[in-house]
Amino acid sequence: MEFKLEAHRIVSISLGKIYSARGQRGGLKLHKNLLVSLVLRSARQVYLSEPGCPPEPPPAAAAGHPEEEQPPPRSAAWAAEEPPPPPPGEQEDMETGNVASLISIFGSSFSGLLSKEPKGRRRPPLDGGEAAAGTAPAEAAAEPGQICCDEPVLRTLNPWSTAIVAF
Amino acid sequence: MVAPPALLRAARSRPALTSPPALPAPFWTLTAGGAGAGPPQPRRGRAAAASSIRRHRRPPPPPAPRHPPRPRSPLRPTRRGRYRQHNMAGAGGGNDIQWCFSQVKGAVDDDVAEADIISTVEFNHSGELLATGDKGGRVVIFQQEQENKTQSHSRGEYNVYSTFQSHEPEFDYLKSLEIEEKINKIRWLPQKNAAQFLLSTNDKTIKLWKISERDKRPEGYNLKEEDGRYRDPTTVTTLRVPVFRPMDLMVEASPRRIFANAHTYHINSISINSDYETYLSADDLRINLWHLEITDRSFNIVDIKPANMEELTEVITAAEFHPNSCSTFVYSSSKGTIRLCDMRASALCDRHSKLFEEPEDPSNRSFFSEIISSISDVKFSHSGRYMMTRDYLSVKIWDLNMENRPVETYQVHEYLRSKLCSLYENDCIFDKFECCWNGSDSIVMTGSYNNFFRMFDRNTKRDITLEASRENNKPRTVLKPRKVCASGKRKKDEISVDSLDFNKKILHTAWHPKENIIAVATTNNLYIFQDKMN
Repeated sequence: MEFKLEAHRIVSISLGKIYSARGQRGGLKLHKNLLVSLVLRSARQVYLSEPGCPPEPPPAAAAGHPEEEQPPPRSAAWAAEEPPPPPPGEQEDMETGNVASLISIFGSSFSGLLSKEPKGRRRPPLDGGEAAAGTAPAEAAAEPGQICCDEPVLRTLNPWSTAIVAF
Repeated sequence: MVAPPALLRAARSRPALTSPPALPAPFWTLTAGGAGAGPPQPRRGRAAAASSIRRHRRPPPPPAPRHPPRPRSPLRPTRRGRYRQHNMAGAGGGNDIQWCFSQVKGAVDDDVAEADIISTVEFNHSGELLATGDKGGRVVIFQQEQENKTQSHSRGEYNVYSTFQSHEPEFDYLKSLEIEEKINKIRWLPQKNAAQFLLSTNDKTIKLWKISERDKRPEGYNLKEEDGRYRDPTTVTTLRVPVFRPMDLMVEASPRRIFANAHTYHINSISINSDYETYLSADDLRINLWHLEITDRSFNIVDIKPANMEELTEVITAAEFHPNSCSTFVYSSSKGTIRLCDMRASALCDRHSKLFEEPEDPSNRSFFSEIISSISDVKFSHSGRYMMTRDYLSVKIWDLNMENRPVETYQVHEYLRSKLCSLYENDCIFDKFECCWNGSDSIVMTGSYNNFFRMFDRNTKRDITLEASRENNKPRTVLKPRKVCASGKRKKDEISVDSLDFNKKILHTAWHPKENIIAVATTNNLYIFQDKMN
């Protein structure tokens, strides 16, 4: 269980780093952001896995990596969509202070972190090429904004969304 | 005129200087050790009277007598959380070096101006010149004084030779990005004539600088007065031939080539080829090959950018040419691998000739394993047989003939392994430490936190931790070895891990190519240590 706590903490720290990297002098540092995203991914894996599971080794992360690096709609999705309200009531009884503040920064795109919907997260990976915001097929929820909240939301956590725009 | 960096500013404790540096400032320096500072004045050249600019080189010292190696105590296995250390400078003879404080350059105040943060340190090929670059885009070059016959027990001091503004901050309007002026690397060219040349680079642009001395000037023009005013030709009654007269030594730095617009990402390395005609520059995803004379084009020799940036998994962290083979170079990655490439194999060296990678120890797995395996520096040995890599916790020495694992691994600060999460939070885990070889490739050195730096003797397998601090201010004071206590009872004189100052980090060190003189850069100070000469 402490893995999950640690993972949660690391996720929020990593997100904070990615956010603060935007305003840095000299532009985004590709190397540092790549490392932060790797940590974010490992921590996220642990966070999403069954409670009590030990952290997965990176080969698993590497296997999971291609599916997670599917091109999310980039910042266009974030910027364009109106943040829908966070899923009600399904908050895990964990320390959500950090995540709550990050939600306020990024909009509820990150509400998926708190959602207990396994369905949203465990879906099989989508192919690449869903570049446009609204092209998410089967799991397309009601409004386009919902997509951001769903399974893709954890893919939109991909920090390359910000890095790529900069580059 | 460039504001002199704090490296040159007076330490408050010295009353000898009467005024703060004014612009335009003559070059002067104040050293805490060694001979006292004189009044501010232009650098006096020794060769003012002589026509030749070349300095007299003192003959190389006779080789030290070799003592039989001391029997080694059986090595204790290191366990996680415990840190064992064998002192190098112990009692007894052998080839143990005793390091003494020699000089320190820079301001004493605790609040560091960001522009004064040293970002690179490099000796030239003879060791006579020592260049530093800082975050403010300035380069300061120190020159070693010739050996004084009366001071036979210490080598010449390093004093300021030249200061110039190498890079300025720029703005990329297309991307709305500011380009930092911080000097990432300096590399010297071997000396071919009286002038010195070096390459300095920031994130985007590489510049070739020529540093030349001028100690003569022509006097006796017919149409010009000595102060430059033009004479009325009608007043000229006789003609004379202008002659060169000696003048006060002036050191001038001028940019000879500017290699720009070739890198999309941030340049992390430059390396001059052994043919002394070409050099490479590496950024996060590409490596370019340049000719020193040609600035409007470069060849891309490595490109690891994936077609889809979202598939990016590793970046290039450092690159270097082989010291002897002009078609071989290596580059290290953020995944802890090193690739050796041969430019004769193909124009684009995306396929490596050798891949150096050590399988990871599964018991050390953590969230941060990838970060700490990222290589921050790679350096060939002078012989060209070995290369050294630095990752966050260790230094590894690789034999170019063996790809599957390093031949030697030295733990720099293993006691930090249990603190990785905190180091991730405060960003220290992203610090890029450099490493260097000594001239004979027998000792390697790298930096750590709390202004500690570490040396590993490859032959005796002993290591030592020293501190760069102003408290050991007297010249020829032998530095006391330091110890970090990882856990358990803290012995006297040991420092516990929790009391280490992680803001005081030594990222850049350099070793004189021929002698036991080292330059160690703390955040904004440059320390010079030498071995104790008897």
